[in-house]
Amino acid sequence: MAYKETNRAGNGAADMPVMQVQDLSFSYDGTVNILEGLNLDIQKGKITVLLGANGCGKSTLFKLMTKNLYPDEGSVLLSGEDIGDMGLKEFARKAAIVHQNNTAPPDLRVETLVGYGRTPYLNAFQTAGTQEDQRAVEWAMQVTNVAKYRSRPVSELSGGQRQRVWIAMALAMTTDILFLDECTAFLDIRYQIGIMQLVRDLNREYGMTIVMILHDVNQAMEYADMLVGMKNGRIIAEGDPQETVTPAFIREIYGIDLPVAEIGGKKFVMAV
Amino acid sequence: MDTEKETGQKQRNAGLSFLVVILLLLGMIYIAINTGSLNVSMGELYRGLFVEYDQNVATVWDLRFPRIIIASLGGAALSVSGVLFQACMKNPIADPGIIGVSSGASFVAVLIAGLFPSLYFFTPLMAFAGGVIACGLVYLLAFKNGLNPLRVILVGVAVNAVFSGLTQAFNSMTGGNLSGVASIANANISQKTWDDVYIITGYVVLGLVLAWILFYKCDLLSLSDQTARSLGINVTTTRIAVSLVAVVLAAISTAEVGVVSFIGLIVPHIARILVGSGHKRLIPFSALGGAFLLLLADTMGRTIAAPYEISASILLSIVGGPMLIILIRRSDKTYGV
Repeated sequence: MAYKETNRAGNGAADMPVMQVQDLSFSYDGTVNILEGLNLDIQKGKITVLLGANGCGKSTLFKLMTKNLYPDEGSVLLSGEDIGDMGLKEFARKAAIVHQNNTAPPDLRVETLVGYGRTPYLNAFQTAGTQEDQRAVEWAMQVTNVAKYRSRPVSELSGGQRQRVWIAMALAMTTDILFLDECTAFLDIRYQIGIMQLVRDLNREYGMTIVMILHDVNQAMEYADMLVGMKNGRIIAEGDPQETVTPAFIREIYGIDLPVAEIGGKKFVMAV
Repeated sequence: MDTEKETGQKQRNAGLSFLVVILLLLGMIYIAINTGSLNVSMGELYRGLFVEYDQNVATVWDLRFPRIIIASLGGAALSVSGVLFQACMKNPIADPGIIGVSSGASFVAVLIAGLFPSLYFFTPLMAFAGGVIACGLVYLLAFKNGLNPLRVILVGVAVNAVFSGLTQAFNSMTGGNLSGVASIANANISQKTWDDVYIITGYVVLGLVLAWILFYKCDLLSLSDQTARSLGINVTTTRIAVSLVAVVLAAISTAEVGVVSFIGLIVPHIARILVGSGHKRLIPFSALGGAFLLLLADTMGRTIAAPYEISASILLSIVGGPMLIILIRRSDKTYGV
């Protein structure tokens, strides 16, 4: 079960940020900068949540951090190495991403899909995995609790179970860092909490560094170690969520006034 | 446990499906050998081929065998080409005949046959160039924030119309009686010789082997582009590689049998139902099924109204049209997860 223990050695100094975003600028059309001179450190072993209104640039930042876009200026370092200099395969062995919209053929089985997570470790013409691959797939299915559906087609599962399968595929990549793009979108509240608990377990028990985009402020406050608030392509606040989130912060990033209540020593944004 | 049993069941069913399609193909070959004015029994065939010269067997060997082999290889190639295009475009309706790749190939093949008959043996290469142009046009014109399945088809229909129009125009300009031109333009498999077999076999086998090597990449292309990329796959490069193999298969078969639509649509669709959408099985099964279907269509075409022949492509259009409509109505389900 302690799969990650074997993989965690040799990741540089303990206090060094695992990912560093340095002076990042980006524009889609070459004229209007979506991001300008952005800096951000992702701390190792923490859950970092990106928060902001639609169009604030958090998705663009997410894409730049996951090699889906290339910066105009600046760089993104993973364990001190520029991800722009890494091949896709090399990057895939270091960082796993769960994207928001996923499709799969209707008869694709859970086990097969999770097995795709081993793709970065396969040689050019190899398609069957080694024992090591099998072990990683098994571990990923156990952790996400989808092993019992292994032979079922992904399309027959509920939305929440399906999302777990996609997370399992990412886990099978056995990376130290996991990126999640709105992984609770379109799920009902029960599944949302299940997924968030899973994310917390991955962080607390397996020491994974997590970077995620969330839309729910209260979930962000509950699960984040580090909150990053964005507006107009800039980071306007970052830090401990309980300290960061105030009525002024909410007004700044969403442009509306919402009361912030305190229940049992924890803050909640009254999002109604 | 139940689900494991189910999986075993599915694997057995897939195995059975393979057995059935192989038997169908062999049976069809035997029927095709014996369809026409000459008939030879199994025994006669065996003796005539391996023991002593037999006039009837020799005639069948020279006249029917090339046609049977070309129809089978052409059908296999077109069907696998369809599978590959469908993987690249995430679109169960993509078929080299419908999206214009075959007509691009046929137009160039017809030009070569009409203007430079001495380059006859290079026809497949020229057809390949034509197919690449048509395929490139479809991708370029249909691309707009990704490949929308319906837009691919609509652009394909337009590209197809232009190239088949050009082909027919050229055929008419030559009086419609240059046999090389007319046979491609009218998708006529008759009058094939062993020379044609030698031209087509190497390319088709090469294309089929390349296609099968790419099966895992095809599987990954069925995921969303972003997800495939996050697995370390360069989606664009993969898509180009798979498309090129698809164009090779479509172009080669077009150079020999002309534009035959719908095989790449019908066969993969049935194959997915029988052996699933994993390309490891889908590709070989579609090859066998495609060989069977084109041979069936060709053999029926020469018996229905004998002594007149209806070309296989016409028969397939009659069956394929309704099939296309069924697929369009179901297409939102096919990549729906």
